[in-house]
Amino acid sequence: MLVTPTLLLAGCERTLNALLARDPAAPARLAALAGSRLLVRLEQPHLALVIHYHYAGLDLMRGDDVDETDVDAVVELTPETFSEWISGASIERLMFDGKLAVRGRIHLLEATRDLLFDLDIDWESELARWLGDMPAHSLAEGLRRTARWGLRAKDELMQDVSEYVFEEARLLPGPQQRSLLREHLTELEVATDRLEARLNRLQRRLEQLQPAPQESRP
Amino acid sequence: MSPTEKRTTDFGFQEVPVDEKASRVADVFHSVAARYDVMNDLMSMGIHRVWKRLTIERAGVRPGHHVLDIAGGTGDLTLKFSRLVGPRGKVVLADINASMLKVGRDKLMDNGVGGNVEYVQANAESLPFPDNSFDCITIAFGLRNVTDKDAALRSMARVLKPGGRLLVLEFSKPNNPLLSKAYDEYSFRLLPKMGELVAGDGDSYRYLAESIRMHPDQETLKAMMEEAGLERVEYTNLTCGIVALHRGIKL
Repeated sequence: MLVTPTLLLAGCERTLNALLARDPAAPARLAALAGSRLLVRLEQPHLALVIHYHYAGLDLMRGDDVDETDVDAVVELTPETFSEWISGASIERLMFDGKLAVRGRIHLLEATRDLLFDLDIDWESELARWLGDMPAHSLAEGLRRTARWGLRAKDELMQDVSEYVFEEARLLPGPQQRSLLREHLTELEVATDRLEARLNRLQRRLEQLQPAPQESRP
Repeated sequence: MSPTEKRTTDFGFQEVPVDEKASRVADVFHSVAARYDVMNDLMSMGIHRVWKRLTIERAGVRPGHHVLDIAGGTGDLTLKFSRLVGPRGKVVLADINASMLKVGRDKLMDNGVGGNVEYVQANAESLPFPDNSFDCITIAFGLRNVTDKDAALRSMARVLKPGGRLLVLEFSKPNNPLLSKAYDEYSFRLLPKMGELVAGDGDSYRYLAESIRMHPDQETLKAMMEEAGLERVEYTNLTCGIVALHRGIKL
């Protein structure tokens, strides 16, 4: 249906702009990008997308009919390259590997990644808009305390489980036991080596002590 | 024509003297201006935003362009265009109705739009701009309210730069008979009631439904645009033809 991609783009644009509005670092990044246009061509599924930056966020538009001269940079990539790019792979390395084709202002790509994937959302300020400063701060403090307690509880649980498995129930060898076992095995290996060397030496001495066979006379 | 005979035109399903239509349409929009956006969302279930987005995509507006948004009303298209043209470009929001223009200006200012937007109260039939002034002209849900549509299209073609695009987003004729029947029921029964409840003005929304039926269908409007001097005219039916987006280029 004709309007479906437009509807999806509208949804993505709204979500991204809402997130950018809550990132304290976004206004400075957007100011540096304002007025720039980036054309992204994805190979599979075949998709052309124009990202237009302005001071308040970005506009997403379909870019099927867009001429390359009308944009500041064009990037062509596959879904695999896209996932490598957003996970922080160097753009230069992707370009040298032949996975990424970029024409125009290459730094737009770096700036786009910083803007969209380095979001640090200020949830407390958004909560304050809805609840007021004090309740929002109390709620945020409560959430932070819960998160800290959750992390501590997780660490303690892991510690308890490992103690039970390794020390009490002895279901698995612990790191100390593994290292002790390794030391014993090394000692055993050295001892067997020595024993082998002594046996060899004994063998040689026995051979030396045995009288040489007498030559028979005619 | 004898001087006693008066030329008439349609105002919904009524025939009114030509010089009366503009003031009657003005009354309709004065009445609904304050609740215009809410009613649009309610009546179209929000789909009018998608239709407008598609218009913006098809407009191909770039930084530095000059854009004229005729019958721009509450400034939905202007808001987006002002960002796309950037500080080097210019968007003119034109509307014949002062109330709509005021609502649009307030809304745009609330959204931080300023430097590159101008507001002009103008009649689409005689646009107060020099020839070849704009890279793109849009008229969204406005052409059916114009008294002399041919004159308006000629005027738009005149102020368009060579190579510029005119986009007309307007209600049209649904291409499915079943949908057409359901759409009639909705327009003539439900719409005036919604108008009465939300905007406190059922008659204005009755006019809206009637004016949609009186508006030329897709092919007729295409021919009118070609007659006005536009070329490569094409149209896209949206939501089964309830709305059509016509695009023509001045060569």
